[in-house]
Amino acid sequence: MPEYTVATAVAVVAVVAVELLWARTGIFRTAQYWITMAIVFFFQVLVDGWLTKLSDPIVRYAPAQFAGIRFPLDIPIEDFGFGFALVTGTIIAWQLAGRKETA
Amino acid sequence: MPAEYLLLMLACVAITLPLEFVLGARVYRRPRRLVLAVLPLLVIFYVWDAVAIARGHWDYSPAHTTGWLLPFAVPIEEMVFFIVIPLCGLLTFEAVGRMLGKRSAASAASSSEPSPRSRNVPSLPEFREQERVPGAKDGGTGVGDA
Repeated sequence: MPEYTVATAVAVVAVVAVELLWARTGIFRTAQYWITMAIVFFFQVLVDGWLTKLSDPIVRYAPAQFAGIRFPLDIPIEDFGFGFALVTGTIIAWQLAGRKETA
Repeated sequence: MPAEYLLLMLACVAITLPLEFVLGARVYRRPRRLVLAVLPLLVIFYVWDAVAIARGHWDYSPAHTTGWLLPFAVPIEEMVFFIVIPLCGLLTFEAVGRMLGKRSAASAASSSEPSPRSRNVPSLPEFREQERVPGAKDGGTGVGDA
């Protein structure tokens, strides 16, 4: 299996596990989080689409290291797991930091 | 253009500024909490990026990046990315939270007429007041218990 694919799967599972088993901020049960992720997804397509466009890429992916599926636009699908882990992880940390702030 | 990647990041910062200053997200105005939220993910994703670069998962077009490399051959643009994108995510999260809160507050107050609050951009003191409420309440309870 390509390494980027594996790394992305591990990152997504790790973030979900951190939330459900340790942080327990409850964001997965809120409309606020899911609406945020829908908006983030839309803008990720634009920004990531620009970064990865095959006609003139800024970031160039080794074909052997990802699953080979580029969708939508020319975005390797792994990037969406990467983005999910980065943004969700940040929101979890933000909620934890806020909890400490008010405690 | 060597600045292309950095300019894309600058565009992300610019386009999300109204979330803070029009919709009242209050992310920039809580810098300590912002650092605590961004820093752990920055470290983790920096390591991921460094490993991915070392193992040849991806590289960067010399034509669209400055070529300024940080430790472990991570381009400065990538570190900017790991600050800017989480920042944009938090601004969205807080702006959505304010919109949802405003809607439920407005519908609770009146169903026929939008409240003046929902039309106006709330002022900074109003935000401060809201944030102090839980602390003030806790203090009050403490006094009452004693």
